Amino acid sequence: MNKKVLLVPLAAMTLSLVGCGEPDVDYTDNTRLTMRVHVDEGSEEGNGYKEIITAFNRENNGKIRVDLEFVARSGGIYETQLDNDKRKNTLPDLFTFDAPKCAYYAKNGYLYDLSSSFSTTEQDNFVALNRYQSKLFGIPIQESSAGFYYNKDMFNRAGIDVSGITVDNPWTFSQFKEACAKLKALPGLKGAVDMRLDATADETATYLLYPFIYSCGGSFVDSTGLHALNYFNSANSKKGFQFLKDLLDNGYTGTNYGAQDFFTHQVGMYLSSGWTIPELDNHVKWGQYFPDRNSWGLLPYPKADDGTAVSCNGSWSYAIGNNPRTDKSNVVTLLKYITNAKSSKVITQHTGMIPANKEAQVGYANPGSAEDVLLQQLNKTSVQRPETVGYAQFSSAFGRAIKYLKDYGVDKSVDDAAQYLEKELSRLK
Amino acid sequence: MKKRYLNDPNFVRSKKSKKKIIYSVIYYLTGTALSLLFILPLLYMLAASTKSEAAVATSNGTFLMFIPDFTNLSVFFDNYAVVFGERYHIWTYAINSLIYCLVVIVLNTLVNGLAGYVLAKFHFPAKGFFSFIIIFLMVVPVETSIIPLLSIVQDLLHLNKGFFSIIAIVIPSIISVFNIFLYTQFFSSIPKEYEEAMHIDGAGRVRMFFNLILPLSKPIVATTAVFTFIGVWNDYVWPSLVVDNRGTSGWPLYPIQYAVNIITSSDGITTGQIMAALVITTLPIFILYVAAQKYIVKGFGTAGLKM
Amino acid sequence: MALIALYVFAAFIVIFLAVFIKDFIKNRKSHYKYHKGEVIMAFVLLAPSVVLAFFLVLLPIITSLGFSFTNYTLGDPNNISLAGGDGFGNFRDLISEFQIKGDFYHAIKNTAIFVVFVVPIQIGLALGLALFVNNKRRGTTIFKVCFFAPVAVSLSVTAFFWREVLANRPDGIMNSILANFGIPNQDFLGTDKILGWMIAISAWQGCGYQMLIFLSALGNIRKDLYEAARVDGANSFQRFKTVTIPGLRPTMLFILITVFIGACRVLIQPMLLDQGVYPGSVTLSLYMYNQGQKYGNVGLSCAVALLMTIVIGSITFLQRQLLKEKKK
Repeated sequence: MNKKVLLVPLAAMTLSLVGCGEPDVDYTDNTRLTMRVHVDEGSEEGNGYKEIITAFNRENNGKIRVDLEFVARSGGIYETQLDNDKRKNTLPDLFTFDAPKCAYYAKNGYLYDLSSSFSTTEQDNFVALNRYQSKLFGIPIQESSAGFYYNKDMFNRAGIDVSGITVDNPWTFSQFKEACAKLKALPGLKGAVDMRLDATADETATYLLYPFIYSCGGSFVDSTGLHALNYFNSANSKKGFQFLKDLLDNGYTGTNYGAQDFFTHQVGMYLSSGWTIPELDNHVKWGQYFPDRNSWGLLPYPKADDGTAVSCNGSWSYAIGNNPRTDKSNVVTLLKYITNAKSSKVITQHTGMIPANKEAQVGYANPGSAEDVLLQQLNKTSVQRPETVGYAQFSSAFGRAIKYLKDYGVDKSVDDAAQYLEKELSRLK
Repeated sequence: MKKRYLNDPNFVRSKKSKKKIIYSVIYYLTGTALSLLFILPLLYMLAASTKSEAAVATSNGTFLMFIPDFTNLSVFFDNYAVVFGERYHIWTYAINSLIYCLVVIVLNTLVNGLAGYVLAKFHFPAKGFFSFIIIFLMVVPVETSIIPLLSIVQDLLHLNKGFFSIIAIVIPSIISVFNIFLYTQFFSSIPKEYEEAMHIDGAGRVRMFFNLILPLSKPIVATTAVFTFIGVWNDYVWPSLVVDNRGTSGWPLYPIQYAVNIITSSDGITTGQIMAALVITTLPIFILYVAAQKYIVKGFGTAGLKM
Repeated sequence: MALIALYVFAAFIVIFLAVFIKDFIKNRKSHYKYHKGEVIMAFVLLAPSVVLAFFLVLLPIITSLGFSFTNYTLGDPNNISLAGGDGFGNFRDLISEFQIKGDFYHAIKNTAIFVVFVVPIQIGLALGLALFVNNKRRGTTIFKVCFFAPVAVSLSVTAFFWREVLANRPDGIMNSILANFGIPNQDFLGTDKILGWMIAISAWQGCGYQMLIFLSALGNIRKDLYEAARVDGANSFQRFKTVTIPGLRPTMLFILITVFIGACRVLIQPMLLDQGVYPGSVTLSLYMYNQGQKYGNVGLSCAVALLMTIVIGSITFLQRQLLKEKKK
């Protein structure tokens, strides 16, 4: 009896130690492809991918079959899975990745070079492709832009006229500050604008705020992407940070605002991406603070008084994985299918974001609508985030500069961040 | 007890009793205040889980944030309905996690209990070697070891696919050096006479473990079980990394923390819904703790923990 | 991996055999002889845990400590070489970062401050709570459950909650309370104060666990000792000093060591409270996590782990030697 009890755990262990390693994927069979996306299966975006792949499998019945895998990106799981697959050389044939990480993935050999697979005309269909050292590595799934959501009622009460401000004729930093001053004078407000200066922990602050630095003619890294000193903290870059510091010093914005402040009428303006449109449309979440589309509007990024208009772009992209499969022709067919105008529209239907494919952008937005402002901005003034292998390091450094702006002032916070970034970039192999 | 005091004719007159009452009042007031300080996050979580986003936003930062929204009872359970609903169906993941926890607790008790038993009661060479390794493993930071661990489980043991990926989820939690340490401490305190009495009967060492040591050790078994449960139940990164989800349709193998992460990072999710999900994940731990509370206090000692 | 496993396994076996033979020879002179059956049974029963611990705990740890001499990165893991040519590149890198007062310097400083304050505060709090509920009054179980609550509640809830309480806003809870006393708006989680709150919240969050351990130790102190002290005319403080404190001594060492190790590894609190990696709140574990997971510098991250192991290990050993009960 006693021996039997002993045998159970021992048997279980032997079983688990031996395991049985059946081959993961057959990379010579070009009719079976794997694709991985960064959302969970039940999400709206996930349904979009499902719809596209189901259509693709139907159209290529008997020739190509794609297995779709969902790995939600929360908590770094998605990235760790990719790293693990890279180590084992079992990357999926096609996967999604966060666009600014293109240089990192390309440098480390995760991505298959698409330069020869996509003709120039095909490439011209996209606003912002993901390149590294002028080779093409990623095609955007959808595009994004951001702007200033504003409370129309407050703007009327404060006497701010924004009718002349368009993407082609944007407002200047001075005009922006004037508007802030008027908003701040309104009674019962916390401040004028939520600049999202608190969102330094993740990509949010970086994504929303880097255009201000570019607008002043500033930069972050050199052309190799490996040096930051005298770029990140150049005189022009500091002008951009100074603009943000001015807003803080005048009490127009703060480092302690929450997402609810715009929605509950605590501030008059809110810097945010296109994701906020459905949130505002969906009153259920916030009650009746913004009953309809006439109660709020969207303004483009302001430009430096003597600078150029710059806005943000970039979301997630598709890439072909550098795995043992040598014949990539079917994978390229799949990539072209999922980035064509029809598929692009499907994704937009599910997420509401701007289609990446220019053909699909026709009819996306009604003239004069908030979507139209974002679309025009994307096509006319958007600039990609800096191309560097150490993008994660850059993003941390940028967050740090923003975080310490209030306490330490522009010079110290930006110089410190530049030094930090220089040190971290020097560690790259 | 109290009644007896009240019936006591000397009660009111007695100075000592008066002093006792004042002490009691002070004691319970302090206790309540202290308890509040410790359960405020719990209260906040419960309160927010019954509110709409607008209600959460307006109550945040005021004392209303600790009180459920009784003024709007029509939406009281709406957040729970969403979390349990078709989109997130958190109960599927909860059942997965419960199964993982049960399997781990049984195997963990067996494997580590036996090891503790041997280290506490057996006389054999190289015992000091094992004791040293246990202390060493309790000191090393484990944060960096997830990469080699992944490589061992997937490349060396080939626990990649289907059923084997489930083994991969639970297997690292089965071994717990800290639990071996606790078991060793507890078993050492069991008097030798018990064993000797049984040994005369000719009982084997293994039977002794199951028939004598384990029944005497309910407190320590309960203690390690509760903390093992908390560990497995709250684990997110490891199970999500090793689970095989290629082409799974129907029943996902993910644990409950995965669902919580999905819910927290969904677009358009409200604070109330997030809190509802967190209430659901916290509740089992709490219930288990309350149930085992009596044993846990005993489990940590009898003879005191010696390092 | 298989190769590394083989080497580590070989080393493990060699050391084990050496200790085994040493013990065996020593035993020949002792009165308390080994029994063959008992020794065999011991190893059979130890086998499951030893095998599991070897593969799932020891091997990963040894491997990761070994990485500290390489330039292993997450992005390019199949291209490993010795760091800086001789294997000590990561350590030189850390020293240089320490000298220019980079994040590594702040991580060491913050961790040291954190440990020095959190260990006595948390232990004191735990002991206080244990003494508070260690009586026969009704309802103490409810108190015990409440004090333990922060251990059970998810850390992200706790952190979110404290950020709301300490929010740098006039309508933040703490600020609105202070406003009643005419104290102006405070930035509690500001750069200079965040470490203090990290200490307070960690102690608050963890003390319920140590309270349980203290409670069990208090329960084991013989009641007649108190009675004897009372008869001798000792007041409650003297009884505490002469009976309770010596009774708690062995438990105290265990708690001291576990709280110390836990405090050295503090990771989650700064991460959730400050929501990022900043010099004001970075700790060694957070620095390690950031380098390894976020930037992919696994080698560097493991080098920090190795240094931490050495430092924590030697301090733990010292504590053990200094506070250990004299063998009777």
